[in-house]
Amino acid sequence: MFRRKGFGEDKKSGEMEFGKILVPVFGSEIDEEAIRLACRLAKKNKSKIYVVSVITVKRALPLDAEIEPEIQKAEDILDRMERVAEEQDYEVETVLLQAREVGPSLIDEAMERGVDLILMGVKYKRRFGQFSLGSTVLYVLKNAPCRVILYQQYAS
Amino acid sequence: MTSGWHIKPGDKVFRPRRIRRYHLRRVLGVAAVFSAGYGNVGSSIYYALGIVSLAAMGATPLALGIAGILFVFTALTYAEGTAMFPEAGGSASFARHGFNDFVSFLAGWALMLSYVVTISISAFTIPPYLGYFWAPLKESPIVGTSAAIVIILFLMTMNIIGIRETSVINIVAAIMDIATQVSLVIIGFILLFNPSVLFQHIIGYWPTAGNLVMGIALASIAYTGIETTSQMAEETRKPEKNVPRALGLMIVAVLTIFAGISIVSLLAVSPEQLASEWARDPVAGIAANIPVAIIASIFKPLIGILAGTILLIATNAGLIGISRLAFSLGQYNLMPSVLSRVHPKFKTPYFSIIIFTVIAIAILIPGFFASNVFGGIGALYAFGSLLAFMFSHAAIISLRVRKPELPRPFKLGGNIRIKGRELPITALLGLLSTFIVWIIISIMQPFSSWVGFIWVAAGLVIYCLYRQKRRMPLLSVSKSVAK
Repeated sequence: MFRRKGFGEDKKSGEMEFGKILVPVFGSEIDEEAIRLACRLAKKNKSKIYVVSVITVKRALPLDAEIEPEIQKAEDILDRMERVAEEQDYEVETVLLQAREVGPSLIDEAMERGVDLILMGVKYKRRFGQFSLGSTVLYVLKNAPCRVILYQQYAS
Repeated sequence: MTSGWHIKPGDKVFRPRRIRRYHLRRVLGVAAVFSAGYGNVGSSIYYALGIVSLAAMGATPLALGIAGILFVFTALTYAEGTAMFPEAGGSASFARHGFNDFVSFLAGWALMLSYVVTISISAFTIPPYLGYFWAPLKESPIVGTSAAIVIILFLMTMNIIGIRETSVINIVAAIMDIATQVSLVIIGFILLFNPSVLFQHIIGYWPTAGNLVMGIALASIAYTGIETTSQMAEETRKPEKNVPRALGLMIVAVLTIFAGISIVSLLAVSPEQLASEWARDPVAGIAANIPVAIIASIFKPLIGILAGTILLIATNAGLIGISRLAFSLGQYNLMPSVLSRVHPKFKTPYFSIIIFTVIAIAILIPGFFASNVFGGIGALYAFGSLLAFMFSHAAIISLRVRKPELPRPFKLGGNIRIKGRELPITALLGLLSTFIVWIIISIMQPFSSWVGFIWVAAGLVIYCLYRQKRRMPLLSVSKSVAK
């Protein structure tokens, strides 16, 4: 039996190694837990962590439109994530993107930076009475060029 | 941490502020840019065919063909300009780099007129196509114009709220549009081709020289909408390669399909009927006259729904285009900042959306009282678009003279050398021909040219007052306020 070695897989040992980890953040409390988990995973191999916040720009505006409150909000989120990482004794690189849609921009960023893992915090939410992952998570799961870990907060 | 140094409690860490606070994530490819462009340019045939036939009659295919040559020149100019400056603004952006703020404002203001009329004319054409399902939409000017206004108001609301629209919608719409148009042409040729009928419709309804010239001038509106590709450039991955490719594809698709549809229309109906009964929904006229009942019964509702959808997308594209343009001009201190005001909750430029919606509706008001306003709106559309195209050609030529060292990822071939500068022949011909056509429209369509010149004069007053208030010179070159 042959098994295809994937992204982030050590070819000798077969163990998973994540050299570069991308963590999308959206401003909810689950982001902090996702960053803590990413730091723990990264410490073993001294991996690089990219924390990405995406500002979605409505189609009625040019993509390079600077909407100050949105930028400030995203900067605050990234600053907070940096502090969380510092508490974990780790350093992360923060990335602020402007895009039309969150999902495609995350995938594009992951491909451009050649990440081995996307670690997403998932908030427990219900839509029309049903548990829902949301469109961004589904898009990432469907199109990711690497492994994806979903980290969901305790639902109760 | 990869280094040996670790942050300890109490340490103060200085993190340099992100120099470029954010970077743009461009994800669109050739297919998405082509689809958006074709969605806009390709939608023009649903009304342009009727408008052109009002003047060119039997020479409608010839008028569209000659105007098609102008389209090729313009598309090539946009390919060079957009590859150099992949940013929102189109001709206004080229003019800012090639000349100064004043010329950039004039180009942007002309483009705004073009976008406003796109909204009006596309919305005005939707009800006649839907007339298959409910006749008053086509037959009653009051019902038709009211429906058009309701459509514009609906889209205004959607854009203020900020609906999510993916590029997949554009791709699906473009595929459906091209598939239906191509199948209509093929079926039309198979079922309707009769050389004697075609000959009779062309020769029997050959226009006077003046009307033919007017027809060629009006046919230029069939090819407007090329600005969309320029607007999309800022969202396109590798725009220096992908935008010229998309424009090349668009030239081939538009010229082929428009030639086919214009010839089939003359096989299906006489130019007299095309210019009267089917003036506002000419493609529906072709479907209605397919001789095989079962095929006609499929195509009549299909054309109604498809044309309605495509024109709705084109109306929306006009509204999106003008609000983006107003914001972009505001960023360069060319327009009052009130037009760049973003809604605190919806994050959309609600003020500019409302203002330009009101203007687009005002253009439609005469539609309540007279059914022959269609040609006038078309001429106004040509007035604004051609003016913007003229500035684009002039800016590309000016850039070749003033900034020959700038990198040009897509450089037009076929240049003539004057005083050591390479000038593209297509841009020179494009400038000359659009200028001539614009002069013809201005002379032969007094109502439209008056409205157009009033628009330009109003813009100049706004620009001068605004620059005076900001204590800025009229002719300087501004950097973006935001950058």
